[in-house]
Amino acid sequence: MPNPQEALKYIELATSNSGVAYVEGDTVHITVPPERLVDVADTVFNKYNCSFRVCAGVDERPLNGHFSIVHLFTDDRAGYYVVVKAYLSGENPVAPSITSVVPAADWCEMEARDLVGIEFTGRDVYRLVLPPWWPSNLHPLRKEVPYNYRPQPRIESEKLGYSSEYGVIPLGPYHPALHEPEYFELYVDGERVVDVKYRGFHVHRGIEKLAESRMNYQQINFLAERICGICGFVHSTCYALAVEKAAKLEVPERAQFIRSIVLEVERLHSHLLLLGVAFHLLGYDAGFMHVWRIRERIMQLAELLTGSRKTYGINLVGGVRRDINEDKKQKALEVLRELNREFESFIEVAISVPQVKKRLTGTGILPREEAIRLSVEGPVARASGINKDARRDLPYAAYKYASFKVPVYSEGDNLARVLVRVDEVFESISIVEQLLDKLPGGPILLTDFEIPEGAVGVQVVEAPRGGDIHYVVTGRGTLYRWRVRAPTYANIPALRVMLRNQPLADAPITIASIDPCFSCTDRIIVIRNGVAEVFKFPPMVK
Amino acid sequence: MSVKNSFLKKSIWVFHLNTGSCNACDIEILDALTPFHDAERFGVKLVVSPRHADVILLTGPVTAESLPKVVNAIEAAPRPRIIIALGSCGCGGGIWHDTYSTIGGVDKLLEILREKGIVVDAVYYVPGCPIRPEALLYAVALVKGIVPKKREMKVYKAE
Amino acid sequence: MSLKPLKLVIIASSKGRVTVKYPYQEPIVTQEFRGEIDIDPVKCIGCGACVKACPPNALEISESEREIILKYFVGRCIFCWRCIDVCPVNAIKGTRNFELATDKSTDLYTVVVHTRATCEICGKPVETTRMRRYVTEKTPVTEEYITICPECRRRLLAEAVSMRKVGPSERKE
Repeated sequence: MPNPQEALKYIELATSNSGVAYVEGDTVHITVPPERLVDVADTVFNKYNCSFRVCAGVDERPLNGHFSIVHLFTDDRAGYYVVVKAYLSGENPVAPSITSVVPAADWCEMEARDLVGIEFTGRDVYRLVLPPWWPSNLHPLRKEVPYNYRPQPRIESEKLGYSSEYGVIPLGPYHPALHEPEYFELYVDGERVVDVKYRGFHVHRGIEKLAESRMNYQQINFLAERICGICGFVHSTCYALAVEKAAKLEVPERAQFIRSIVLEVERLHSHLLLLGVAFHLLGYDAGFMHVWRIRERIMQLAELLTGSRKTYGINLVGGVRRDINEDKKQKALEVLRELNREFESFIEVAISVPQVKKRLTGTGILPREEAIRLSVEGPVARASGINKDARRDLPYAAYKYASFKVPVYSEGDNLARVLVRVDEVFESISIVEQLLDKLPGGPILLTDFEIPEGAVGVQVVEAPRGGDIHYVVTGRGTLYRWRVRAPTYANIPALRVMLRNQPLADAPITIASIDPCFSCTDRIIVIRNGVAEVFKFPPMVK
Repeated sequence: MSVKNSFLKKSIWVFHLNTGSCNACDIEILDALTPFHDAERFGVKLVVSPRHADVILLTGPVTAESLPKVVNAIEAAPRPRIIIALGSCGCGGGIWHDTYSTIGGVDKLLEILREKGIVVDAVYYVPGCPIRPEALLYAVALVKGIVPKKREMKVYKAE
Repeated sequence: MSLKPLKLVIIASSKGRVTVKYPYQEPIVTQEFRGEIDIDPVKCIGCGACVKACPPNALEISESEREIILKYFVGRCIFCWRCIDVCPVNAIKGTRNFELATDKSTDLYTVVVHTRATCEICGKPVETTRMRRYVTEKTPVTEEYITICPECRRRLLAEAVSMRKVGPSERKE
């Protein structure tokens, strides 16, 4: 538990801005009037050096007749979650934008505008999440809109934009360089790209609204797991931990150990996947095939421990569904020993290959000050010298029983990001071995409990790509509001800095080195030909 | 159609069409090309343009945003058009089959294509969440006619 | 130029061939794998607990005048096995079957048809005959209550209460 003395400064901040504050466990809740929101955000982000995570708009009209906007920060040094909330009018909700002091809040405010209908003052606005033909007065996350109301979709694709001076080139959404559907329209002048129009959110499936309607608490675990196919167990664990924190449930220790073990197995498979894809983009296909051959044993281990190669489906609110007996433990240790040996001998060869080493060194540099300003997450932050890891700063599940190092490099180039992930593979193997050794006895599932109404829970879990945050407000029989923010959301604005003044040929590997996961977020940035400078329209981060 | 059967006995070139899935089925498609499962034994190759494709691998519930682009991509594939719908999202719309932002799987997509006059010659369904790479190889072998079909409709009367 | 990259040849040749030649060889499937489910039509009582627990609505119940039909659509199943967790009579079993590809979507359905019992008094159809038998065995409720529908039960209770002879002078303050 964090030190209660550290929470005093937040309580003083709230009272001096005519608001209220209270502390519950490791979360500080601050409620201020909307006019003071920008000053409070400025103090929390710039003066107290918290990381900004996400903001969420909530329709609370059935409860108290207001809308509200919630900004989530984490104090990594002290180990506190800081929730800053403001109530807005129920008829015409207007909130001041905090992007002037917290640049990373750009996209989440536009998402609140599209889905809940909150207007923002003091910034440029644009449509982000919903398709352009969506009726502008239909906000899906408002409580009176049913979750399955579908306006007539448009089947004709739009005409290409027209320009009299520049050529227009459409890129995507189905293009050999892209794994997921994203669309760019490039306006070119000869070889130089002068303008870009971007359309994303092809993967928006309406998950947050679905969880508030026909699902109960236990079914949402399976829904959360399918937000992303590569880091799904992270979302499912984070949701379960957030609801258990809100309802104050005592989950058995053995279940927390099993959750941590499976989280680390997922981290292994994800890092090996990225290394294979990175080698493929660099042209070293032999490396791609060998890394995925090594990775196959981890998929079989995951199937042995949980029942499925991916989307494990063992999490429930209150514990887990599958146990690890002695036989599985021995098999797991054997697989990890073999993996350690094979990966060590292989990665030594792979990093020394000339095309790999020379193309990764010195490209895509992200300086430390920019990384702090943009609140980047995960290996991208650790490769630029920021010592940030939610497993150590805000401990959850069974991580306090394992000792591990957090690898930090200071160069900030592509090679540093790859080496951070290679080091994390070896650390993960060691964490799993330690936890398997210390596994306590006891039950694995809590069956007799009740979840109260109106409780708030916030939880951060360190995914392979960075910190993933879930914010839940419980309701009657199901959730009242659920906000998910995946780590790639925060990492993509950093691409603008990384691709500045770089040759075009290094762009694909730079983009792949932040390990983008578009089904978690669905945002991307565009490259420009010629003297490459990342250019995005509408403007992303000023 | 005998033309379809005769040319499908040779190598099948597939085009991967992601209509908004969570990516688990997509990385299992890539996994089918790696040394353990080796789809290239059957001559399967991933191509970059739908114009070169024999078979389209469709993953994801068709989302409202990606619908016009999916229709364009399928229209670009030459006849005979064969679609393999992968996973719970492709076959039946998935866990989000009735939300505001999805169309609901390959069956609703086929209705829309029929209205526009685009003919799809055969559709194969592969259930799974995510599909195993072996299930994808089984589907490719079924398209080529090497293995027999195993799943059939079962109706029981309880009394 | 260093010769270290050539070590890859040594690694590759020491591994040899790792391909499992499915479908001509058995695939590597562990004992824990979650495949298709198998509904036993003899044990199923048509209660609908699995329908309530299924996240993607792959199990559905439809009612008609004489029958209650349980439909299982493998196409939308996510293989989570929650239905197996909640079934009160253990009528659902899990298998390791994943070879489910087909070219007709009707092949992917499993249907169990139950007959409906009727209310003794008004004749309206209520739950399945098997569920009525199950509830009678499990709970100490008298036979005459279990064979009438909720509306008739309410009407009979109101009639019984209205026939109690308590006048205004005997009512307690």
